[in-house]
Amino acid sequence: MTELLEFLYIGEVVEEVAVALGPLILFFIFFQVFFLKLPREYVFNLLKGVVMTSVGLVLFLQGVKVGFLPTGTAMGEILGGSGRPWFLIPIGFGFGLVATIAEPAVRILSFEVEKASNGAIRAKVILITLSLGVALFVALGMVRTIYGIPVHYLVIPGYLGALAMLKFSDQTFTSIAFDAGGVATGPMTVTFVMALSVGVASVMEGRNPILDGFGLIALVALAPILSVMVLGLFYSSGKRR
Amino acid sequence: MKGYRENLSEALQAVLPITLVVMILQFSMVSMPAVVFIRFLLGALMVMAGLSLFLHGVKTGLLPLGELVGAEMPKRASFAFMLLLAFILGFVVTVAEPDVRVLAHQVDVVSGGEINRNILILTVALGVGFFVALAMLRIIVGIPIAYLLAGGYVLVIILSFFTHPDFVPIAFDAGGVTTGPVTVPFILALGVGTASVLGGRSSITDGFGLVGLASIGPVIGVMILGVVFG
Repeated sequence: MTELLEFLYIGEVVEEVAVALGPLILFFIFFQVFFLKLPREYVFNLLKGVVMTSVGLVLFLQGVKVGFLPTGTAMGEILGGSGRPWFLIPIGFGFGLVATIAEPAVRILSFEVEKASNGAIRAKVILITLSLGVALFVALGMVRTIYGIPVHYLVIPGYLGALAMLKFSDQTFTSIAFDAGGVATGPMTVTFVMALSVGVASVMEGRNPILDGFGLIALVALAPILSVMVLGLFYSSGKRR
Repeated sequence: MKGYRENLSEALQAVLPITLVVMILQFSMVSMPAVVFIRFLLGALMVMAGLSLFLHGVKTGLLPLGELVGAEMPKRASFAFMLLLAFILGFVVTVAEPDVRVLAHQVDVVSGGEINRNILILTVALGVGFFVALAMLRIIVGIPIAYLLAGGYVLVIILSFFTHPDFVPIAFDAGGVTTGPVTVPFILALGVGTASVLGGRSSITDGFGLVGLASIGPVIGVMILGVVFG
């Protein structure tokens, strides 16, 4: 029971949120006083939003710290110590797939790409490509953690591939692709999938939780970039024909 | 609470799929101790509530402000002053980014406090600030984005040979977490605002690409931190 009571100790998180949002609020006060000079009513409305942001951030961070991260780590430890760590590969694939399909930012991106291609590439195709791309890279990340492959062996060729495609892709696709890196690294991937791989790396013999546990988010960020660049290649080669 | 429902459904869509997969696993392949599982469910509820409030607050409070500032800044300030402001904006939004905090917390815990969370957040924020300023400079001067992206990543590759090995995965992860729900809309608003005020340039091509550039900053920052540590 005492472990569940941990949820109630929010003092530390409250302090953290104050530090997190303080500078941003000061920046706005500066702008309000010197440049914007918005009417008081408007400021009051914005203030309500800021209060909501703070409360939301406290709940979110506390839920992640006390609930999600320890669970993800525990699950990783169980799987890593089970003698069948390769189970993590399909599990990673599954997590990657469901998390990306559901992610609202991914859907927005899909429509953006459809527009950039003047409707030649359907949003649904993009959504599926992206989700499979992310799922594949989470699975790859798990392979990396289990077998102890250094992260730059995957990330550097990935970025070099993206840079090589820059030459053949048109500017709009390039900009969208590199901006897209962030769409799949939502709060869920960051918290849960990261904790999972850290958990595995901390129990498996010969694995270092820092060296092998981290690096997954980097791969998840790379997947949409490569997916959109590849789509861009298809589009521009189709246009030329 | 107009529009809250939409943000609630957005939060549910983000949290529920993962929760379902964990529940299925709990009752099939990986049975965790009951206390851990209950903690997960309580955590999931809190995260859902927190995320929906947070998103709603960002959209009603922070974003309109971000757009105002993004549109106002280029009109009022000189170029040099604007670059400074872009740097500060990049810095303060990163400090407020939840994903950055979660990564820093996890790194702090796993390294046993050796890589302090505040130092990590500070480094990441400085990296974003610097690269947002650089990205603004790009829009003003009109350098093609491909040059900056290529230059940035080449620098990353070179640094990865000199930095302490522990910092390589953390650095790459830091690049991924900066693109979160606070940073992205702010930086996009700033980029589109600047590009549209400058006129003549295409606001689409110039405004985009800012986020991609901004996420290189922390990778370089954390790698430099690793050189200092190592």
